[in-house]
Order: sequence, then structure tokens, then C-alpha cells
Amino acid sequence: MTDIMDIIASTGGKGGTGKSTFAILLSLKLSKEGRSVLLCDCDVECPNDHLLLGRELHESSPICMKFPRLNEEKCVSCGTCSKVCRTNAIMWVKGKPPVFFEDLCSGCGACWIACPEKAIETKMKIVGETFVAKVNDNLWLLTGMSKPGITETGPVAKETKSRALKLGEKIGVDTVIVDTSPGTHCNVIQALLGCETAYIVTEPTPLGSHDSGLILELLRIMRIQSQIILNKADVGDKEVVKKTAEKYNVPVTLEIPYSERLIRAYSEGRLDKVVDLI
Amino acid sequence: MKIVVASGKGGTGKSMFASSLAWLFSEKTKVVACDCDVDAPNLGLWLGVTTYDSEENISTSEKAKIILDKCVECGECFETCAFGAVEEISNGFSINPLLCEGCGACQLVCPVEAIELSPVMNGEIRVKNTKWGFPLVSGLLRPGETGSGKIVQEMRRRADRLSHNVMILDAAAGIGCPVIASVTGCDYAVLVTEPTPSGFADLGRILEIVNHFGIPYGIVLNKWDINPDMSQKIEEWSREQFLGKISYDRIVIDSIVNLRPVVTSNSNVTKEIKELSKKLQRLTK
Repeated sequence: MTDIMDIIASTGGKGGTGKSTFAILLSLKLSKEGRSVLLCDCDVECPNDHLLLGRELHESSPICMKFPRLNEEKCVSCGTCSKVCRTNAIMWVKGKPPVFFEDLCSGCGACWIACPEKAIETKMKIVGETFVAKVNDNLWLLTGMSKPGITETGPVAKETKSRALKLGEKIGVDTVIVDTSPGTHCNVIQALLGCETAYIVTEPTPLGSHDSGLILELLRIMRIQSQIILNKADVGDKEVVKKTAEKYNVPVTLEIPYSERLIRAYSEGRLDKVVDLI
Repeated sequence: MKIVVASGKGGTGKSMFASSLAWLFSEKTKVVACDCDVDAPNLGLWLGVTTYDSEENISTSEKAKIILDKCVECGECFETCAFGAVEEISNGFSINPLLCEGCGACQLVCPVEAIELSPVMNGEIRVKNTKWGFPLVSGLLRPGETGSGKIVQEMRRRADRLSHNVMILDAAAGIGCPVIASVTGCDYAVLVTEPTPSGFADLGRILEIVNHFGIPYGIVLNKWDINPDMSQKIEEWSREQFLGKISYDRIVIDSIVNLRPVVTSNSNVTKEIKELSKKLQRLTK
């Protein structure tokens, strides 16, 4: 079923370049043109699309993952769990039961698989949640949000994306637009997986040029077709971004000028007022 | 003394402010600047650094691989992987290196020892003695690799070895693994925000992390004049944790376009940042 939906990403490497702004403007524009669109806010560490659309988040559905819980009665203090843990989340002193540091635990399961006494049980922990909102007749928003303190946010992004695709199929949308986190690490990779096109939203500064190079490198590895959206195009120096675009052989398809009107709409959670900018 | 600059939301001015702090603190004491935003390291650019004195490839993560000759296609690894990295292929299973976290759970569960783990060069640590008289240590996560938190830990160890009294750490956006690795063990956190609903909401989220570690903090409001009403709201909300504000000024963009530290410009912004730096020097004595 998913092959009939277009799946598009809005990403950028650097933070604050306008990824969410572009994802929302594109969603609003396509939905106005009569396409049905699902916007998936996959920036799970700091999701803001609802704020920019002036929506509250309702109908939370938890995202759970398994984490270790030691059964001290069964534990023989052998230290195997501590040895297999590659995130250093288990401290063990000879002759004593191990101590688990949940802050460092990724929930990978190596410890409970390796324990020869089956003394490590599991508990479900909420690592994040998703929310669904209907923005207009043709536009839905699905937001993923990680729980503060959770280190490994890749699985939260993965589940958010998978719920978005399921919802998209159920509603029968034409397009899913995925808004990613800044950077290139695991939660961005999870958000980008399966996208056919990625828009790299960047700004005309050496920072924008440098960081869009990093995300373009990732997109090259992932074989995702990319194009650059130059935001605040008239502030700074376009040439630096054009060089990156040439290096990776991707087009700069749109320039969005710096706009006081956009800043105001952004602040008010009323991006619907400036759809004409793209 | 370790001071970390963080924000939750990207683009609020973390690197701009961290570079300014390093520059201003270095007038009084020995500083090392540490770029912990390994996904998008930009602190160097704010200090005019485009080449490094040393670049070292490092490995802080491993990747699993299935040896197809040994694999009996039982699917245990597929069921076990918490990161969805094991994929079904026509002749068994395969591991998607983009998703593998190198945790080794698949290897532990494999009944026929058909899974190998090997280290990958997933990052770089670069060092530069800047022309401003203090060193910069900068980490980089190779695109497509995992393990950003561990790269941060490793680069912090390197930075610790350089002689210094104050370490300024520039954290990544977000509140996940690389940010937690940057914030942990710091003595003070500077949270940079902007007067937008997103900036304010994400300030709340990064604050949960900072409070979780019990680190003293102060709030800096950047570009305050793009929305004075919201700025007033944030200032009131921050109460005694409010350090001060910085105006929106095109000179900041001109500075980065010309790769010149902001505080070398003759501007209002420089004055505001100098005030903030003085306040922070008093607070972190």
C-alpha cells in the first residue's frame, strides 16, 4: 500500500534553518491544492510542528520499550551482564550484584540474553508518545515525542514513522511529509528511511553549507534523491551553499527570502498565513 | 570548571554564544573550547577555523554482520534487534549497517555463531590551536554512522588532557544521546533560547535534562527583539535564572559569512555578550 503514497522528508543537518517551517508550508500548500497530506513530526526530541500550526496535542499513545530489571534473588553476581553491555550502563564489582544505570541503557537486551541465571527480567518503560491532530479537511498531523532523559531516541522516531505510515494508509493520504531532527544520527536516519525525496532546508552561511554537506553525504549513502531549499536566501552568501550543491550534484530548487511576515507568523503559530512564500 | 551551552531547539545561537564565551573567557584564564555537536560541528567556523592541526579517525562503535554460510535462518536475530537493523532478504537475513547500534544482542542470541562484530571508524576528533590563543577540540560523527554520544565522551577525554581552567562545551540540538553526553559532568549550563513558541517549548525540555543531572544553569534570550512580548514572558518565567538578552542584528550573519568571531565586531551585540560573559565569570568562579 505504501507505494501509492509519496513520502517526502524535510531535513537539513543544521538546526534552526527552517525544516519545520518548510515542512508545514509544503503540507499546507499541497492540502490547499486538494491533495490529502499527513505531516509526520519526527523531530521527536524537540517536536514543534503543532506549535507552528497553533494546535494542542491530544490523544497520546505511548511508545514502550523493554528495559532490564534485576531479580536479585536469582543473581549470582557473575558480572556477565556488565561485560556484554556496550553502553557501559551496568557497573559490577566482584562478589556483588550489578548496578544498572538507566540513563545510559539503550534497551538493547544484550544483558538479559547473556545472563546465565535468567536473573535479568524486563519491564516496559514509556520512551515516548505520539499524538494525532486534524489540521484541516485534507491535512493531518502525527507528532512523536521522546521522554526527556531517554538517550536512544532512534526507536521513538522509528515507531513514530511507522505509526504515521499506518495512519496515512488508513486515511488514504496521497503524501506523507516527514519533518526530521537536525543532525545526521540515528533518529534522523530512522526518519529518512523509505523516503523517496528529501528537501534539505538550509541557510546561505558557511554553517548551512557545511552541515548540508554532511546530510547530503548521508542521503547519498541512503540513495535518497535530494534537493536544496535555501531559506533566508537574501541574508548572507548564497555562493557557499551553491558550492555544496555542485559538489553533491543536487539542485537548489527554491529560495525563500528573509521575511518579517514569516517570523511573525512563526511566532504566532499561524504559518497558514504565509503559504504564498513557497 | 566546565560550562556547557545547550538549547534543545536548533539555530537559537548556541555556537555563536559558546564561541563568544570561549573568546572572552580566554582574556582572563586558560580556556579549551569543545565542539560536542558532532552531527553538525560549527563551533570552529564561529572561531574562524576551517582547517585543523590534527585530525584523528576514531572508533567508538561496532557493527554486526551475518556470515551467510553459517546462518541457519532461524530468525532469532531478527526478533531480538531492538533497533530494527536486521532485515529479511531472499536468502536469509542481513544487517542494515545504517541502523545497527553495535550492541551485540544479535550475536548473543545466534545459536550457530553466524554473527560477527567488528569496529568501525565512525568519527573524527580534530584539534586546532586557534589564533585567539586557546585550543579547540571538535568531534565529527561520520554521516551514516552511529555512536554520537560515545564520540562526545571520547573528545571530552582528549579535551580534558589539554591544560585549561575553563572548558566551554557547545552541545548539539535536541535532548538525546549526544546532548546527554555533553551535559553530564558539567558544572554549569547556559541555556540559549529565542522568543518563539518552539524556542520556549524546547527550553522546557532541555531544562528537564539539566535538572535531572542537578546542574546549576542560567538562561540567555537571543534575538529578543523579534518578539518583545514573548521575550517578556520568557524572562518572567525564568525568574532569577535569567542571565540576560541579546538583540537581533544582521552583524551576526555578516560575522559568520566572513568567518569572524561575533565579539570582534563593534556592535551592540558585542556589548550585550560581554555583559553576559562578565556575569557568567562571576557566577562560575
